[in-house]
Amino acid sequence: MGIFCGLTAGAWLGAAEAPTKLVTLGLSPVVVSLAMVVGVFLARWSLPALIHGTSYIRADLRQAPHLIVWAVLAGCLWAVANTLTIFAIRDVGLSIAFPLWNSNSLLGILWGIVLFNELRGADWRRWFGVLGGALLMFAGATALALAASAQAPARDVLKGVIAALSAGVLWGTMYIPYRKAYLTGMSPLSFITFFTVAELGMMTALAVGFSGGVTPLWRELIGAREVLFWLLLGGFVWVVGDLFQQYAVKYGGITRGIPLSNTNQLWGLLWGILVFGELRGATHGLFAQVIGGSLVMALGAGVIALSSVTRSEHLRWQETASAEGERYGVDPAYTRARIAGREVSATKNGRTWVDWLLVSGATATLMGFAAMAQTPQISVRWGWVAGLALLMLGALAGCGVALWRTTRFA
Amino acid sequence: MNDDRPEQHSRNWLSLVLHDVHFWVPVVVLVGGLLVLRWIH
Repeated sequence: MGIFCGLTAGAWLGAAEAPTKLVTLGLSPVVVSLAMVVGVFLARWSLPALIHGTSYIRADLRQAPHLIVWAVLAGCLWAVANTLTIFAIRDVGLSIAFPLWNSNSLLGILWGIVLFNELRGADWRRWFGVLGGALLMFAGATALALAASAQAPARDVLKGVIAALSAGVLWGTMYIPYRKAYLTGMSPLSFITFFTVAELGMMTALAVGFSGGVTPLWRELIGAREVLFWLLLGGFVWVVGDLFQQYAVKYGGITRGIPLSNTNQLWGLLWGILVFGELRGATHGLFAQVIGGSLVMALGAGVIALSSVTRSEHLRWQETASAEGERYGVDPAYTRARIAGREVSATKNGRTWVDWLLVSGATATLMGFAAMAQTPQISVRWGWVAGLALLMLGALAGCGVALWRTTRFA
Repeated sequence: MNDDRPEQHSRNWLSLVLHDVHFWVPVVVLVGGLLVLRWIH
């Protein structure tokens, strides 16, 4: 289940970055990031309300309130990383930046092993599979970084590469709060609610700071109002992918879940080349380097996917989870049940008027921006957009049904 | 003594968080990220 979620996450996370190409129109990167985060915020409250209801989230948070600290930390890390990626896309392009920040999976694997006892109890084949796959992904990312230095025109290759790699470090470290929360048993739907409050808060602070104040920021937002809908939509798409990534980490661990969701870079490559015509006019050698580098990364992800989690690894996870629960006074029955994808009690938390208000509010906000939206003045091949969207929807339906049947989204 | 308990629980909780390496690693990385962002911008 974790592996299936990771692959589905890749398709949606890859598509979510597409609207950020609007930065090439001259929009401020922080405005692009802020608009996307607003879309993320709307989705991260409305989707959980729709799926489980906010009463479920309240009950979940009462079991482990200390995890709010880590949800806030994760939100801040995400906001800073996302802003860095906008600079990276502006300076080196989507098809190059994507694989560079996907090095986050390497760091995620390291944290999983060092801090959460992942891969402990695994046989040598699984160690080889995970570490070998990670090294393949690093090799692919290196090939892409070299391609970035040869690509023209680029605004500032060095800054673009550093921005992308730094985003990778931030996102790789963001998995620490994820893993901590899910080992304790918290539902991803609950975790992301506080996560997104911190995201929006940090992103707003960054936007105000970098824009030179509230008034200049407001003027920039008004000036960009015709394209804000696309960025909000990108945020919504991101949340769908992120939810599957959260479930991938919960049921597959960081060492499997994150590399697999980092197949988003292949989707990013498809969006960049097929939809936006990136690398048009590039030499055959450069094409070969970009595609070859991405395929090597995908191969690495495939090797990791084949290294399934063993029973002895699961036992280690349970020990780590018990230690976490004991440290913070969490009910062990809650932790044990949730790790297995079950609920502690049969009590169902229904949806209330608050949930329907959240869903209607989010829908109305999106529709309001949609009414103002205009087609962006960048080269877009809409046929390819439709084709890729169909593939994404197929993955959503398949994985969503499987996840519901197996875990009821616990 | 009973009145001190909730306060003591809060202090213990805070102390647990501040002594948790899972807290400090993300904090240090976050600060580093903000510095990089400032440099790039």
